Amino acid sequence: MNGSSLTLRVVSATTLSPSLRHLQLASADGAPLPPTGAGAHVLFALPGAGRSHRNAYSLVNAPGSRSHYDIIVRRVAASRGGSAAVHETLQVGDTLQAQWPANLFAPVRGARRHVMVAGGIGITPFLSYLQDAGVRQAGFELHVCCREEERAVFAPWLPADAPVFFYWDADGHRLDTAALLARQPAGTHLSVCGPSELNASVLAAAATAGWPSAQVHTEHFGSGASGGTAFEAVLHKSGVRVQVAEDESLLDAIERIGVAAPCLCRGGACGVCITPLLDGEAEHRDHFLSPAEQAQFIMPCVSRARGARLVLDL
Amino acid sequence: MPLNPSEVTSRPVYPPLSADPRAARHWLVLEAGSLDGELLAELHTAFAPVAARLQVCWVGTSAPPADWGAFTVLPDVAALGSVLAQAQPLAVNDRLCAQGTEPFVWGVAALAAQAGLATAQVQLAHAGSQRRRVWCTHCHGFTDDVTTSVVACAGCGRHLLVRDHFSRRHGAFMGVMVDAEQPGVRPAVQEVFP
Repeated sequence: MNGSSLTLRVVSATTLSPSLRHLQLASADGAPLPPTGAGAHVLFALPGAGRSHRNAYSLVNAPGSRSHYDIIVRRVAASRGGSAAVHETLQVGDTLQAQWPANLFAPVRGARRHVMVAGGIGITPFLSYLQDAGVRQAGFELHVCCREEERAVFAPWLPADAPVFFYWDADGHRLDTAALLARQPAGTHLSVCGPSELNASVLAAAATAGWPSAQVHTEHFGSGASGGTAFEAVLHKSGVRVQVAEDESLLDAIERIGVAAPCLCRGGACGVCITPLLDGEAEHRDHFLSPAEQAQFIMPCVSRARGARLVLDL
Repeated sequence: MPLNPSEVTSRPVYPPLSADPRAARHWLVLEAGSLDGELLAELHTAFAPVAARLQVCWVGTSAPPADWGAFTVLPDVAALGSVLAQAQPLAVNDRLCAQGTEPFVWGVAALAAQAGLATAQVQLAHAGSQRRRVWCTHCHGFTDDVTTSVVACAGCGRHLLVRDHFSRRHGAFMGVMVDAEQPGVRPAVQEVFP
């Protein structure tokens, strides 16, 4: 069994809170699903107004599950359509197209201990970490920054005995990142998943505290980062031009006109969608390219134009 | 003795040791007899910003420099194990730096790994003799203090050509039988690692 796309059927859909929905998905033809490791995600094609949206969601089921995948989807306020579709349109029995699972955030096997910091829905990759035998054996602690009322929403997803600590925006309840990172035993690996501000602040705190960068890991999410001012993209090899709207990503626009562009994470992390940039100044928003590479390449899943036009070797 | 550059990619290169002001604690482990006064002065300056959280270990029999401040004098590398044991639990933001001959600093690296430090927490630099520890690809034994291009293996007696290929796990250079094709036909032995 090998391939690149999956057809999944919605087995159950449960509203966890006004903004969170849990979907359980099984293979539409009843075949076993590809097994995944902790931290894996799946890229879904979701129906939207006028076009389909491709969103990546972390799998929260136990690692190795062949019978079903579970995802928890936050309805984004300024949704481009993907998360809104999950909340409003999808029904039990509906089918969805998805890519094979990928994993850009697997727990480090050599770690002697895992410290995880989650921001809001960034808890999802860690829900699979907490069911991973290696992580459990090494020892871990999970620190979750979320809205106070969401503690009860996430609680049923956590093992009863797990060292999980919640923080919210009130005096005496905020996470003291510096104190958390100041004194961790050697061999500890830090994993962070949350909104970009949280990721940036925890990464900066880890650097300030003298953590070796090889022991700090992050997964970014936030489809909201794909918007910006409109511009024109010229696809040199295909000989076509496309207008990239304010609310769509460059990659979305390229796909809209039917040009095949490889992609995996759609979050600027994996590097699969790297495209040579022939002309125009890019606004780089990825977490993958080095500054030197950014002079020659662009990641169209998240990055945009600074000016009115970009010419891509696509 | 500065090290000769090598085309072999496994051959370690050693940038000068540097202190990390963000780190919690530093250990600076120096091999007695390998560092000259100039190098010691450079290290003194480099580690001055972290002096409050620094333990300097002087490993060997010759006396430490008088004008350098406090030293922990250790008889050999193995004794460093008890220094690190006393410092447990080691933190993710601790640092260990070692300078001396390659067999010495890689011995320190092995102890640091045993104590739980990650490779990114350990910095090594070379000083003093270029003598090598050699690992025999035939009997898997070690031969220490090798200064020549060809050496008789301490384990099996085969004459080994000392290569630049280096194993971080063994802290040793690869030695392969030099006269395997024509027994007894061996190149002249040269002192190449003084």
